[in-house]
Amino acid sequence: MHPVFHQTDQLKGRRMAKNPSEAQQYGNLVPTARLSDGKPRTILFNATKCIGCRHCVQACKDWNDHDRTSLYSLSSTNWITMEPPVLEGLSPLWARNSCMHCEFAACAAVCPVEAITKYEEGPVVINQEVCIGCEYCIHACPWEVITKNDITQKASKCTMCSDRISEDKQPFCVQACPTEALDFGLTVEMSEKARTQAKAVGGYTYGEKEAGGGNVIYVLKENKETYGLRNISEQKFPKHKIPLGLMLKDLFTPRCGIKGKLRALYLAIIHPKRLIYRYFS
Amino acid sequence: MNLFPAQRTSPLPGGYVGKILRVDLTTGSMRDENLPEEPILKKFIGGQSLALYILLKELPLDATPLGPESRIVIMTGPITGNGFTPGGTKVTAVFLSPLTGSTLGRGATSGYWGTYLKAAGYDGMILTGVAPEPVYLYINQGKAELRDAAKFWGLGTRATEDRLREAVGKQDAKIMCIGPAGENLNRAAMLANDYNHFAAHSGGAVFGSKKLKGIVVTGTCRPSVFNKAALVDAGWRWRTTLQQHDVKKKKTKYGHGESWGALNNFNWRSTDLSPAHIQGFDQNDVVLRPCFQCARMCPWDATIGEGAHKGTLLHFNAGGEWLDAFFNLGIKGNAALYLAERINDVGIECSHFSCGAGVAFEAWEKGLLGPDRTNGLRLEWGNIEAADKLLDMAARREGWLGNLLADGPRQLAEALGGDAPNWAVHTKGGTPAMHEWRPMLGQMLRELVASGGMKPQGGGSTKPPPDLRYKETWGPLEADKPDGWAWSHVLSEQYRQFTGIFGGCWFAQMNQKPDGLNSILDSFNAITGWKFTMDDALAAGHRSMILQSIFGTQRGWIADLDWKDVGPRFLEPIPDGKYKGFTIAKWLPDMIYEYYRLSGRHERTGRPFKETLDQLGIEEFTPWSHEASQL
Ligand code: SF4
Ligand code: SF4
Ligand code: SF4
Ligand code: SF4
Repeated sequence: MHPVFHQTDQLKGRRMAKNPSEAQQYGNLVPTARLSDGKPRTILFNATKCIGCRHCVQACKDWNDHDRTSLYSLSSTNWITMEPPVLEGLSPLWARNSCMHCEFAACAAVCPVEAITKYEEGPVVINQEVCIGCEYCIHACPWEVITKNDITQKASKCTMCSDRISEDKQPFCVQACPTEALDFGLTVEMSEKARTQAKAVGGYTYGEKEAGGGNVIYVLKENKETYGLRNISEQKFPKHKIPLGLMLKDLFTPRCGIKGKLRALYLAIIHPKRLIYRYFS
Repeated sequence: MNLFPAQRTSPLPGGYVGKILRVDLTTGSMRDENLPEEPILKKFIGGQSLALYILLKELPLDATPLGPESRIVIMTGPITGNGFTPGGTKVTAVFLSPLTGSTLGRGATSGYWGTYLKAAGYDGMILTGVAPEPVYLYINQGKAELRDAAKFWGLGTRATEDRLREAVGKQDAKIMCIGPAGENLNRAAMLANDYNHFAAHSGGAVFGSKKLKGIVVTGTCRPSVFNKAALVDAGWRWRTTLQQHDVKKKKTKYGHGESWGALNNFNWRSTDLSPAHIQGFDQNDVVLRPCFQCARMCPWDATIGEGAHKGTLLHFNAGGEWLDAFFNLGIKGNAALYLAERINDVGIECSHFSCGAGVAFEAWEKGLLGPDRTNGLRLEWGNIEAADKLLDMAARREGWLGNLLADGPRQLAEALGGDAPNWAVHTKGGTPAMHEWRPMLGQMLRELVASGGMKPQGGGSTKPPPDLRYKETWGPLEADKPDGWAWSHVLSEQYRQFTGIFGGCWFAQMNQKPDGLNSILDSFNAITGWKFTMDDALAAGHRSMILQSIFGTQRGWIADLDWKDVGPRFLEPIPDGKYKGFTIAKWLPDMIYEYYRLSGRHERTGRPFKETLDQLGIEEFTPWSHEASQL
């Protein structure tokens, strides 16, 4: 299991966005917290420099003590994949597939136990201690980057290396990239850089607007379809579909544990607005 | 004490997964051996050194290289496959050399295979016996099985890799395999892995003799690391010493020889370097294909962008011996790259082929060889088609010439008779790495004293590495004077050796940069939890050198052969260019004597002195010391 948090990972340490500007930023559906200085950061993936070496993928495993499981699909021990849209090995194009660290994180908004926090510095992180394995977030994420750990039965995904960010270090995948296709820094600087780089190749950016934008931006030289990337609307807190069967199972069977159910109930009472998004959008 | 304890009593140091797979191909039986106890590991560590220590214990003195008693030991090192460091990729195979018949054969390779051998649960393996029918070995998460390889026998290395991966149905599976050269016992058949990588120098012939087509590894294990925080730090320091390869160089450079300005041409009879050699390279589409977590980024793929072979996909690693190999036959430009891809596919060590074919082409030029013995090929310099066909003949031992090319340049020259033996380049029957080394004293010394069955290590430098200046204060050495080169080579052999036996890749060892060696040593200590000093590391390298010569001593090699059993062409004065007239021969055998003395061995026999064995803690080999031979 991943030892992500040493900081504000208990319920009392987190808060819902309260003041109007913050509520506008994150919406008040998402628990938020601060890791260090509160300045947002961004991972910049410049696909025009990527050679598909997957050092980033292995580095993520190394940093997070994951086994050397398959690099070709997302799993609880593989939080990022690099995917060529054509036959492996011959591709000149590669796209990163991992959490986009949404500003308006649908995963966090649907979580009945508020296990997922949006940090002001960028990371959207699942607290393994709190997660009850209900799978709602897995269905809510527009990029489908959350997977369930078969052993712990908890949801898992990229943490944006929040443990490293809180020590003012860059994410480990970024550090490992040998071609500088990955970059990291303050959001204001990275957005600017992304636009300049996209312009230089007559290309596009991706991730700045999708699902309301997040803390990962791509620079592409062709359109997103050519890279095999998803077409995601700009709507904040995008529509999602948690299967009815799953909801009923979670409500009416012992699944997820009595403690989890009580916590969900308590949170539903104190944050009733979140129910509307979870069940009706 | 049993080398492989039934139950380990000492803790397993970080970086090791703890198991060696023993495979008897004759009976098909397999078993796991525990890694040796910590005191032995600390001495021999991994890679060439630990593998050779095992081989010394197990290989009968009368074994022949391709006979049923022969065996091959394959070993990673503690740095292999942890991530966090560059160059953590090395895996080394050792065996009795089919080229020399008396010295160590060794092939080492990078890429991914070593990492995934560990992921499959093994630090190394010992392969013995001969399979009744062609097989491949499949190791998946600690479970090994031998499978029928009839369908794959005869395929080139590229198709074998694809087909074996397909056969096991795992996209992550990594493959080490042989091509037709290995199957047909070409004495310099290579092991190929991960497309871009080759353990050259005969391991493929040993696989072929055992009817082993390949080894597929897959799994999810990772070795534990003693101190992750310290490793992250040391690994990053190592990474910052690296000089990265870039695409531009692959499109504009002549290969390694460009750095001193001499290439191999016309069977070592011209050092010419001219734009025609690289014509068309700039039109190729090049992509770097780095090894496991290594930011040095040596390996590269290319698609030929012009000419007769336009569209051909190529896979290479750094080095560039394959370029000189075909320049040496008068073939230039993208045709040389095309043939380099072909030689990798059939799986022959390029210098072995080129030094042999060079003799054949020269014999054709001089009228000693005609179409009756070449299967009709016209061996005119620059004849691409002839070289292409010759590759298949050498790989499959076809015809009089193919059969002799598969044996080697010395055998071919002797069979041709006349003056031909004087045209051969070889060292004790093996061949040097394919570059025009003759202008450089350190590199020449390295080639001569190497086992002949492996890529030599070391070669020295004009100044000691910055990290060794705490005790090495000599230099700069002069390129055309012999003084100091013997010691410079001894030293460099030690640090190359320790990098390899740690499991590190020597391409990633930037020894001339500050922190180039210390960062590797600190990574090693962080992984294992040991506290090696630089002197301990150098001693580990030295120990490995001594084991290497003990192996030869046991089988009839003596140091005198290093300068007596050399293809004459290799010691001729340089024929042309800026180094015209230069040769190391003026200072032989003195430089070789000096090399052996300085490394604690007798200059004529090459046997270690008893004192050397005591210092290195390998007294058990005293019966093979110089003193013992005097009794
Ligand atoms: S990409 Fe998915 S998992 Fe990541 S923050 Fe957005 S909704 Fe959550
Ligand atoms: S940011 Fe960290 S957790 Fe996310 S993919 Fe990169 S290394 Fe993995
Ligand atoms: S490490 Fe960099 S170059 Fe390699 S696949 Fe990842 S983003 Fe691309
Ligand atoms: S130095 Fe080069 S060959 Fe060695 S591991 Fe690194 S990339 Fe591979």
